[in-house]
Amino acid sequence: MLGSRFKNTIMKVSISIISILGAILIGAVIIASVGENVFIAYGFLLRGAFGNSRAVGETLVKATPLIFTALAAVFSYRCGMFNLGAEGQFIMGAVAASWISVTILPFGGIINTLLSLLVGALAGGVWGAIPGLLKAYRGLNEMIVSILLNYVATLFMAFLYSGPLMEKNIPQTAAVFDDVKLTRLLEGSRVHSGIFIAVGVAILVTYFLFKTAKGYQLRVVGLNPIAAKVNGLPVKKMIASAFVVSGMIAGLGGATELLGSSYRLMAGFGQGFGFDGVAIALIGQLHPIGAGLIAYLFAVLRTGANTMQIATGITTAVVDIVQAVIIIFAVAATAITALPGVKAIVNRKWRGIEQ
Amino acid sequence: MMDTVFSVQFLGSLLQSTLRVTTPLLLVALGELYGERAGMINIGLDGIMTFGATVGFIVGYITVNPLMGLVAGSLAGVLINMIYAYSTISLRSGQIINGMALNILAPALSVFMFRQYFGVTTKLIQGTVLASVYIPVLSDIPILGPLLFRQNPITYLAFVLAILTAIFFNKTKPGLDYRAVGEFPRAAETLGIHVTKMKYIATGMCGLLAGLGGAYLSTCYMGTYSEGVVAGRGFIALSAVIFGGWRVRGLVLATLLFGFTDAVQLRFQTILPVIPYQILAMLPYLATIGALFLMHNSGLAPKANGLPYSREDH
Repeated sequence: MLGSRFKNTIMKVSISIISILGAILIGAVIIASVGENVFIAYGFLLRGAFGNSRAVGETLVKATPLIFTALAAVFSYRCGMFNLGAEGQFIMGAVAASWISVTILPFGGIINTLLSLLVGALAGGVWGAIPGLLKAYRGLNEMIVSILLNYVATLFMAFLYSGPLMEKNIPQTAAVFDDVKLTRLLEGSRVHSGIFIAVGVAILVTYFLFKTAKGYQLRVVGLNPIAAKVNGLPVKKMIASAFVVSGMIAGLGGATELLGSSYRLMAGFGQGFGFDGVAIALIGQLHPIGAGLIAYLFAVLRTGANTMQIATGITTAVVDIVQAVIIIFAVAATAITALPGVKAIVNRKWRGIEQ
Repeated sequence: MMDTVFSVQFLGSLLQSTLRVTTPLLLVALGELYGERAGMINIGLDGIMTFGATVGFIVGYITVNPLMGLVAGSLAGVLINMIYAYSTISLRSGQIINGMALNILAPALSVFMFRQYFGVTTKLIQGTVLASVYIPVLSDIPILGPLLFRQNPITYLAFVLAILTAIFFNKTKPGLDYRAVGEFPRAAETLGIHVTKMKYIATGMCGLLAGLGGAYLSTCYMGTYSEGVVAGRGFIALSAVIFGGWRVRGLVLATLLFGFTDAVQLRFQTILPVIPYQILAMLPYLATIGALFLMHNSGLAPKANGLPYSREDH
């Protein structure tokens, strides 16, 4: 007999893989529909992502922030909360890190790096606390509040880099000091130690959610808040805390991106990372490890898309469409397998395999 | 400064622009009301608006006729919302997740279509704008003139639609049937209402009005198109439905309040250059959160809002 958990995992993994393949096929149709050769286009995409060590490094650079925002989405979703505000929390984390690192701390070096990361995480947590508290104690829709706060955070960052923190006359902040930047890992590539922080957080989140009592309680709240309340769990407090931790993960991501890759705040920083994180979390079946893998896939698609655009003129937007189609397929496929008729067939097939 | 603020002309133009910025919010909020009254929560309004704005702009540009753009934008809204409809109604998958998927898919499709047609360009492309109505004599009345007689045709359409919607939901038999789908779908089914069909119609209406609201932005309000033109208006409209307690009157007041905040901050950007515009631009978002904080109406939501429906379930 196969365990039901094992079956479940196989099912989820196959849904993800089928969705990804289906979406890549849709991407091929779009490329063909604008009169380009699909094989050449996808060939350039692969070469752009894996052609040399610099390219591979770039995929890791692009994966790092996505892992953070995806983990933020996984964490809050496991507590039944949609945190659609990871972008704002990411930005506030970077804003705080930039401010502390460049303007406040009188010294550089590793202590500056660590403090900036810490303050970034705290700032993200504070930004995440707003929708969390409003949801828990006032019943406000957490999705709407967190999304609206994204716009506020973006505007606040724009105010800083074109006002008080502007460097000379260019609308951007000053770069962090060289000895504060996260270490580069590979000669000739931008890949930095932030990827280790991201993977470390993924492991921590996995451990917390699946191996600790608190993590179990959090998942109970997510699965059935009423049962959780009846059993004496402090549901409101847990909802608010889940949002804070989710915000901290996103904020740490923003600080990591700032110290490891962009070094300064400027227009477009963090844009889209929040929604991408939610998408990645959903395709990754709301598991930290799944989310990490899908984040890497998204990063590969993006890194490759740039090369594809330069070589063939096909816009990188094709890759964005492919990513969106993956979610739609994944959601639809999960729903299809849950339909009563389909469920019966699937169960019969499983029995066939086992016999 | 104070003289400027309190001059009659200033007030007149402030109120006029309030209606201009309220229009898309009202259209989209009405669309969401049609959806939620049949139990369909759609957080993908921003995405549908983006799609409507893009298709509307491109078609308006090609035909040199903003009206064609508005029609095309509305139809595009229906079309893209059918993905959501099929997935949530027929496959019974989660409404929130599907709404999210629209918010990611629609901007991607929009960028693709725009770049495919105009190429990758940084310069703003100017389209033809749907001209405002200008009624002589009447529109010269101070304050009321510009407010009532010098507006965009779509603004009039939005308010007429609001009145018709209120009548439909409160005074007509089909309107009451429609509401039953969002309140007690099973009871509605036993009364001979085809719940699944109604839900598709509701989603179609939602897509139509959200697409129109988006197309208004690019063909009436801006006249140009840029990525990010929607700027969260879909979510503000979504808030207006909650803040307005799922009733047309409340929803009109809510969108007017948000529109007024936006109009005020836009005016202040010109008369108060001391305050950085980014700080002022935060106002509509903060006001929306503040409004939700003061009024939490979730008890007024349709009872089966957001729930999947199947005839077979018991």
